[in-house]
Amino acid sequence: MLNIKTIDDATVNQRVYQLNLGPQHPSTHGVMHLLVTLDGEVVIKIEPIIGYSHRGHEKMAENRIYEQFLPNPARMDYLSGMIFNHGYCMAVEKLCGIEVPRRAEYIRVITSELNRIASHFIGAMDYAMGLGAITPFLWGWDDREQILDLLEGIAGSRLTYSYGRFGGVRNDIDQAFYNGTRRFIDRLRGRFWDYENLINQNIIFIKRSKGVGVISKEDALTYGVTGPSLRGSGVKYDVRKNEPYSAYPEFNFEIPTREAGDCLARYQVRMAEIEQSLNIIEQALDHLPPGPVRSKVPRFVTPPEGECYLTFESARGAVGFYIVSDGSRIPYRIKVRAPSFSNLFAMTKICPGHFLADVIAIFGSIDVTVPEIDR
Amino acid sequence: MKTSNGFILYIQEILTGAKSLAVGLWITLKRLFSPIVTVQYPRKKLTMTPNFRGHIEAIRFDDTKTHHCVACGLCARICPSHVIKVQGEKTKAGDKKIGRHYVIDFSKCSHCGLCVDVCPEQTLKFSREYELVYYSRWDTVIDLMQRLEERP
Repeated sequence: MLNIKTIDDATVNQRVYQLNLGPQHPSTHGVMHLLVTLDGEVVIKIEPIIGYSHRGHEKMAENRIYEQFLPNPARMDYLSGMIFNHGYCMAVEKLCGIEVPRRAEYIRVITSELNRIASHFIGAMDYAMGLGAITPFLWGWDDREQILDLLEGIAGSRLTYSYGRFGGVRNDIDQAFYNGTRRFIDRLRGRFWDYENLINQNIIFIKRSKGVGVISKEDALTYGVTGPSLRGSGVKYDVRKNEPYSAYPEFNFEIPTREAGDCLARYQVRMAEIEQSLNIIEQALDHLPPGPVRSKVPRFVTPPEGECYLTFESARGAVGFYIVSDGSRIPYRIKVRAPSFSNLFAMTKICPGHFLADVIAIFGSIDVTVPEIDR
Repeated sequence: MKTSNGFILYIQEILTGAKSLAVGLWITLKRLFSPIVTVQYPRKKLTMTPNFRGHIEAIRFDDTKTHHCVACGLCARICPSHVIKVQGEKTKAGDKKIGRHYVIDFSKCSHCGLCVDVCPEQTLKFSREYELVYYSRWDTVIDLMQRLEERP
């Protein structure tokens, strides 16, 4: 029997009642089920019920060789697939002790940051759409489309890239990508003014997001919230700065933080991070080193016996890959620490006391990807 | 005194709010006079980039006028979805094996490109086809060698 909770008979005929938000609901970014206990229109208790898009990626990894798992990480979080792909490659490289050429590291940083911008556009603009504004959503998709075209030019695919390989990346970037990225940076910098006026100054947007869903600093740390949601609560933590990996120590960038901790702060952190990502890409393009993009790696890697944990910053927070190897070509166990899972369950703490309409705002501002929660 | 102050703030808020809405509508209005960014698909089609990853194809080489497949089966081994099947034969004893049938069901293919990377003879490439719609699931099962002969 399925263990799915539905409306409880005992609560019928009382003032307090339960409402199923989802699993098929347009504002839940996928198949997400929120069981909300309401008193009139005010939320008393909220319970996310997950598992609808569980595909068993971690179990799949135990039945295939390391190379065959390469397409899978991008399917966990499809909005930042490039970052996940590079992260898995970095974890296996750490386990095997494979050196990555400097040019490949730079290309990884450029593509990851482009992917982060695309993901933040979805996160921020989908949030605006959750509050009832359709125009910024389409504007954000217009800019995201430019990134997808750029990444398609080098990786060959638009969403699930499979671009990283052990010891580097699949192919080198060309002049068209180089010029296109420069053009994209100029174009996006010119459009920040429009976004500022279209959303940030909008009275409806501010009224619906200011002071709504405040995650305090202590709550954020208790629930293990990471990423823009944590930085919106005033904690200056970013894996790219605090535990540097890849070529990130070589770039100058800031970690934008906001003290408020409400939905507006999380939105502002995302938009500020887009600007920082543009800075990183510009620096990487300026100092792109020559050389090969892939080191010499055996056709099928055989890591030594042991285990490794690698953490990196995706668009949603700190992701961890824990790989246990028993010395064979097939991993013994791969565990993924998904940031959306921790971020989502902070909702159970902050939602009580808000209106039902604010639940949608909070859910959108935390910006979870449902397949990443379930994996 | 206090109430009049609150009243002024209230009026100010209404005015700034109305102004922000007007600015937003002005930005939206500007869009009417800027070029269209979408592609009118069935009438106009995009050209795929050289790196585009469609399903795989065998390359015809000039030296042998055919593919270089030796039916080693590395692509079948590395495929995450197990959709590749390769059959080869030897024309005489001690000779090199030659691939005769290369069957792939690309409806289950995730276009990851691992088979292209792993091929020791580099005889595989990606096709640029993206309109992959068929009447039957069996239409997606193709023999690459047959396809190579049919398409010069």
